[in-house]
Amino acid sequence: MFIRRCPWRSVQLHQLWRPRQIHTREPIHDKRWPGWEVVVGIEVHAQIKSRRKLFSESFTSRPGEVPNTTVSPYDAAFPGTLPTLNPKCVELAVRTALALNSEVQFRSAFDRKHYFYSDLPAGYQITQRYSPLANGGYLKLSKGNIAVGITQIQLEQDTAKSTFNGLRHTSLIDLNRAGSGLMEIVSEPDMRSPEEVADYVRTLQAVLRAVGSSDGNMEQGSFRCDVNVSVNRHGEPHGTRCEIKNLNSVRFMMVAITSEVFRHIELLESGCLVPQETRGFDEDKAETFKLRSKEDSPDYRYMPDPNLPSLLISEEYIEVIRKTMPELPDATRARLLNLGLSERDADVLMTVDSGREVGFDGELGNGAVAYFDALAQHRDPKLVVNWMTHELLGQLTARKETFSDNPVSVAQLGELMDLVQDGKITGTSGKSLLKHIITNQSSAAPSVLAQEFSLEAVSGNDTATLQTWCAEAIEALPEEAEAVRRGNPRVLNKLVGKVMQLSRGRADAQNARVVLSDILRR
Amino acid sequence: MPSVGGLARIYPPKSRASFRSRSFATSYARRSANPCADHVRSLNDSTNALVSFSTEDNPNPHGLLSSLTVAIKDNICTTALPTTCSSGMLHNFTSPFDATAVELLKAGGANIVGKANCDEFGMGSLNVNSVHGPVVNPYRTLNEELIPWAERERRSAGGSSGGSAAAVAAGMCDAALGTDTGGSVRLPASYCSITGLKPSYGLISRWGVVSFADSLDCVGVLAKSVDTVKTVFDSISSYDPKDPTAATPRIRGKAQASVEALVSALDANTSKPDLSALRIGIPQEYFPSELDITIVTAVRKVLERLMSLGAQLIPVSLPSTPYALSAYYVITSAEASSNLARYDGVQYGTRSPTLPGTDKSKPSNVYAHTRSAGFGVEVQKRILLGTYALTADAFDNYFLQAQRVRQLIKSDFDSAFRVPNAQLSSSPQNADGVDILLHPSAIRTAPPLDSDATSGLDPYLQDVMTVPASLAGLPALSVPAGSAADGWPVGISIVGQWGSDELVLRIGEIIQRTADTDDSYIIGLSTSFAPKRNRVVIYAGNMWYYTDMHENNVRMDVRYDM
Repeated sequence: MFIRRCPWRSVQLHQLWRPRQIHTREPIHDKRWPGWEVVVGIEVHAQIKSRRKLFSESFTSRPGEVPNTTVSPYDAAFPGTLPTLNPKCVELAVRTALALNSEVQFRSAFDRKHYFYSDLPAGYQITQRYSPLANGGYLKLSKGNIAVGITQIQLEQDTAKSTFNGLRHTSLIDLNRAGSGLMEIVSEPDMRSPEEVADYVRTLQAVLRAVGSSDGNMEQGSFRCDVNVSVNRHGEPHGTRCEIKNLNSVRFMMVAITSEVFRHIELLESGCLVPQETRGFDEDKAETFKLRSKEDSPDYRYMPDPNLPSLLISEEYIEVIRKTMPELPDATRARLLNLGLSERDADVLMTVDSGREVGFDGELGNGAVAYFDALAQHRDPKLVVNWMTHELLGQLTARKETFSDNPVSVAQLGELMDLVQDGKITGTSGKSLLKHIITNQSSAAPSVLAQEFSLEAVSGNDTATLQTWCAEAIEALPEEAEAVRRGNPRVLNKLVGKVMQLSRGRADAQNARVVLSDILRR
Repeated sequence: MPSVGGLARIYPPKSRASFRSRSFATSYARRSANPCADHVRSLNDSTNALVSFSTEDNPNPHGLLSSLTVAIKDNICTTALPTTCSSGMLHNFTSPFDATAVELLKAGGANIVGKANCDEFGMGSLNVNSVHGPVVNPYRTLNEELIPWAERERRSAGGSSGGSAAAVAAGMCDAALGTDTGGSVRLPASYCSITGLKPSYGLISRWGVVSFADSLDCVGVLAKSVDTVKTVFDSISSYDPKDPTAATPRIRGKAQASVEALVSALDANTSKPDLSALRIGIPQEYFPSELDITIVTAVRKVLERLMSLGAQLIPVSLPSTPYALSAYYVITSAEASSNLARYDGVQYGTRSPTLPGTDKSKPSNVYAHTRSAGFGVEVQKRILLGTYALTADAFDNYFLQAQRVRQLIKSDFDSAFRVPNAQLSSSPQNADGVDILLHPSAIRTAPPLDSDATSGLDPYLQDVMTVPASLAGLPALSVPAGSAADGWPVGISIVGQWGSDELVLRIGEIIQRTADTDDSYIIGLSTSFAPKRNRVVIYAGNMWYYTDMHENNVRMDVRYDM
């Protein structure tokens, strides 16, 4: 028997939304709404990037999957099926909790939330209403030294997707998403402007991607936000909040909050009260609209799930995860700066890195930072970042490709850099080789390619060859040679260029300059 | 209609000398691996026990269970036959998978004969809430000997596993799987004079068992002999990772080890086993005013027999028992309202077209029609009750309160038993405790169908003796214990600590084995301590017990230390 000792309380919504004194901040004076304070909290539903669903064996689906193909009898709520908790989902949620400085609970439990809707085959959603996976915590925003409090993190099931076909007056249901794991991350009402909210969302997305728990993609629906907004005059207690549901981009979210703030101020200034409501957002009109009032809010008849025993998490388990946690964005940035990279280079690497594909079940994808780290193992970090940002990313960008399309392996680029560094090929040859590898998706070793194209640098001792090229250059450009002889050193570069052309990049430019000067001064 | 001649073979001449022969135990049981399907069907005409019949060949005819024919309650999923749960909602539903218990039976080579009638989704105590119609108890009393079997008195087979019990009792199969949420195996076993085991919660996988109330649902086994029950139970009681409430091998082992010594000390293979090591508790709360006095008489006979073999009878009190029934109906209805929310006619099952003019923009409007048409009256009643119990306003007073009562009931049991509950991490041995509890399985004998007893609140009362063990998840076995004044069978229930199913089965075997030789002599029975009229006094161990009978009120209590 897995009867729990009645830990459930009737949690009312207002208890989940408790303004806490410790989070009061210095008043912020915003030119857009002088005299008013804006208070925002967010509930984020982030899809867990697990291979399988939260309680069933079936695979999670990717966007664009053929509808109703990743569905087990459990997902379709067939009679006689029972849930089995996927430990990978727990692991990823614990990673997230640790990354958000949240306290993982040794004992958490699952509850059922009931409502009838066509995207909910069982008639209830399994969630963690009364005893969430983790409590407390905070997320530091990227600007302004602000820490936004985290109220709780809970595991829950995603719903199916229903699409209404207006022409045929039918609803189409796709169960692919039904039963996928979600993390609900509830923030404290600690944000004071739409910009802070945007910062929170972007920072949270980066954290989730870094720990591999979610790809945090708002547009594709794997990161969904419900925003609670209230306004009050400075010095007064928080106003009545309204919840805006289903915002699917950061930009729309900022517009929605701004329009909601103005709506509240307008109501309050005309002497009305703000009614507590759940609202939607009309993207075309850029304004929110009423979905339902507090009085109409459904009774979800929460009940502890009688099938799922309490989730017990040991201290040892948490410690193992803490020790094997991927590096968080803040730490990565600090480490890169410590290696001597400029802020700009670190930013470029991290921006490119955040676009990497997040692997399933916490497998860390190969992003730009991992690529950099592998290259910088025995090499000068600054040199590595130069090759990566200027040459590799430069050439990929020129081809309108991203880092995820990069065909150059760490070994290839490493060898290429070493060949140049050791003077075995010239920098110019190195760049051409890189271009060749990218264009032809070649997997050949750069040293082999250098030989194949006779790109080995002419060694410093082989002066005879260099002499010949220089003589040929002077012969080919008599006017420029004459100008140098007359004491115009800037024209020398043209002759050096000719030597490089004749040698197909194999000559060392510095040596060529010396030899040319020698000949022309005679 | 079966011929009278055929029936004579099935129901041999009754003899007062042997109780067992009256229970059809040895009559029709040719143990054929391929029972004559026509014969089974003809028996079914008068019982309505089976609702679909297997036509498949046994894929594993040489397994350990290949000599057994087994019926499966219709709320347990099978791929070969429909799984209707006796509901209009799943009228044409066939599951895409076999329940784990069915899979294990098939792997053992058992011959599945068909699916057994039951109360809709297991909700009921009399097997009258069924889209397939009520099950008729196959039992025929001594007084009806001269009447053809098919024209016997029509009484309920009990519920909700009434079809499973009736199929076994009528000889249509050797064993049957049932489910027991609050007595649904034990009650029909008692009414039909067979043996029914509700194992400890979590021992048999619930994967493929259509949920009524997950926290209480158990797969149970019904058969004529304890021996057959044990054979089937042993082959399906194993850990299944697909059931999140399944007891782990570690905890099973722990529970088993705690009663191992006692089990091996009790030899069931002799007609006079030595039971001096056994402490039997008689829970005083299990003799409520509604209990039929002649049932007490029958149960007392069994107790006396066990005493004569050396068992100690100890009166115990389980003070929270009177609240069990209310708590049970709140919890099971709440869970049922949740579990049955899935039947909306969208993914599977029956779907009724909406009435013209229905606003289809709300899914609930579309569902409402299907759910009103598909669910029977009793199921609808319980869904409504459960839905109410879970609303924000009622949750504390009903659902949470019921959970508290459930906790009290569990601690009542834990403090009564000698061995600690293996599921609790640390609980001390209780030297004064008992090994098992014995009590009547039901407050009455099978009620006649079409009588008042099958409507109103009466059916709910049927479960009063059986729900406490369900709430506590304990193993409980009902075995036949003679008959009451009306000539209909009485069952006695053996309840053990969680995981002591082997002990419970062993006691059941002893009760069954010694049943034939019991009528002779009772050690320790005395009427000398009966200063009052209507007082029966029993001496056992070093204690005197008396049973007072005031009209319908019967209580057993300890009074005198010697």
